Amino acid sequence: MRSPFHSEQEAFRFVVLLILALIPVVLAAALGPTWLAAVVAAVVLGALAARMTHLRMRRLRGLEVSVKMAPPHVGSATERRVLVVANDTLREEALLGEVERLASVPGTHVFLLVPALISSGARLTGGVDGLLDQARARLKTALNRVGHEHLVAGEISEADPLRAIEDTFATFAPDEIIVSTRWERTASGLEPRLAGLVRERFAVPVRHLVFEPGSAAQEPDGETEARYRYESGDRAARKFGLKALAAAGILAAVLMSTVALIQSSERDEARAASQAAAAQAAGLPPVAKVVDLSVIAEYKRGPEGEKHDAFTTTEFYVRAGQPQELKIDNTDSVPHSITVPKAGVNIVVKPGNHTYTLLVKQPGSYLWYCTFVCDEWAMQHPGYMSGYITVT
Amino acid sequence: MLVEHPDEATGLAIASGLRFAGYAVGVCPGPRGHGQCPLTGPAGCAPAHDADLVVCSLGYEHEAAREVLRELRTRYPDTPLVVEVPSNIDADLQELLDGCKRLPAPATPEQVVVAVQSLYGQPSKESPAGA
Repeated sequence: MRSPFHSEQEAFRFVVLLILALIPVVLAAALGPTWLAAVVAAVVLGALAARMTHLRMRRLRGLEVSVKMAPPHVGSATERRVLVVANDTLREEALLGEVERLASVPGTHVFLLVPALISSGARLTGGVDGLLDQARARLKTALNRVGHEHLVAGEISEADPLRAIEDTFATFAPDEIIVSTRWERTASGLEPRLAGLVRERFAVPVRHLVFEPGSAAQEPDGETEARYRYESGDRAARKFGLKALAAAGILAAVLMSTVALIQSSERDEARAASQAAAAQAAGLPPVAKVVDLSVIAEYKRGPEGEKHDAFTTTEFYVRAGQPQELKIDNTDSVPHSITVPKAGVNIVVKPGNHTYTLLVKQPGSYLWYCTFVCDEWAMQHPGYMSGYITVT
Repeated sequence: MLVEHPDEATGLAIASGLRFAGYAVGVCPGPRGHGQCPLTGPAGCAPAHDADLVVCSLGYEHEAAREVLRELRTRYPDTPLVVEVPSNIDADLQELLDGCKRLPAPATPEQVVVAVQSLYGQPSKESPAGA
């Protein structure tokens, strides 16, 4: 893979910039809460994105230095290759006459490029074929009209006009480009600004010829070309700016949600920690987050020596008003329960492994028991199918 | 080959001469009227980096043009330079031009092509010289 840096100096500058950008993020992460690190990272990334957006908008407005490129000339020194880029103006007799004139100059090859001008809307709605057929028909008519079939060739392109011209450079290597438009853009015509964009990109002479129905070719003066360039550049820059603004809004919303989530989760953790600390300070028994237990028939031997049904845990410690999760595996084939009528508790424990919620609002010590008829002795003795709930 | 020339038409004429001599070309108007040249900033300049040879015709009465030449000498010391120079050059410019192929300004496209060919040689038809 090719290095994106042009020199060691650039790579060094990039590393320094990266370190400078990371320092505040690392400091915020080390010294402040997590959300602050997220905010600082977002600010650093935002500054970078703003700088890139600014540069991109300058480029779109034509305020950046642009380097024009061109491949070597192809053919002998007397040969000349002219690329003509047109769409709806191919119907104009004046343009066809100009092509014919060029082709009649000895050693001149002409290539007609017809961008089909497929909008993203047409791509989405499947209207591509119609536009391609239209461009193909215009090219065919023009080639038939001009003749000189060994010297004049052409093709249509689905690509954006500027990209299409760039692609043509790979195969045709023109020595001159003629961009043919109307004074103002029409639905099936090239934009007048195209000539200016082509001039900025390619190191070959570019002529902008304007054809209006029935009239001869005209060339816009420098002021008109500058106006086309300014208006189109300004429009493109504003469009890009709006997109960047929308993206910034979405990112800001995502960032704020993330910060809110982090803050909320940190608050929950802090609250739980402070509650645990307060409970510890008050000498209250610790409360488990989830209590795992089972109900097993003939699980525990009684004082008389016989085995009785039992819950494996019969003492529960809960906080008043706070739900307590119980994961109970009832291995018996019948249901059992944890019932305290005066506390409003009646958990029916179904056979199998299920999760239940135990909630008691008033502090106190409550005797619970199983209301389903099973082991009668065990139902009357705490530690078997009965026990205590301590609420603090 | 990279051609740095502030005048669009002359730059294109030199580019055309070089193209017909078999070289791929890039043409840059230089820093004048465009604020800072990327070559003198942190972004760098890809065409200058990729160039096998640079033709500098920026006119060196401006400090910005000298800065470009200075950066080219510093960043790409192995890239040959053909520089159009005025008749009266000061000591600072004299030092900058040390080791460059000099052409008296204004040079014709033909003179530039000859100078490039003397430094770089004729490009082969199979592998044209890159910009």
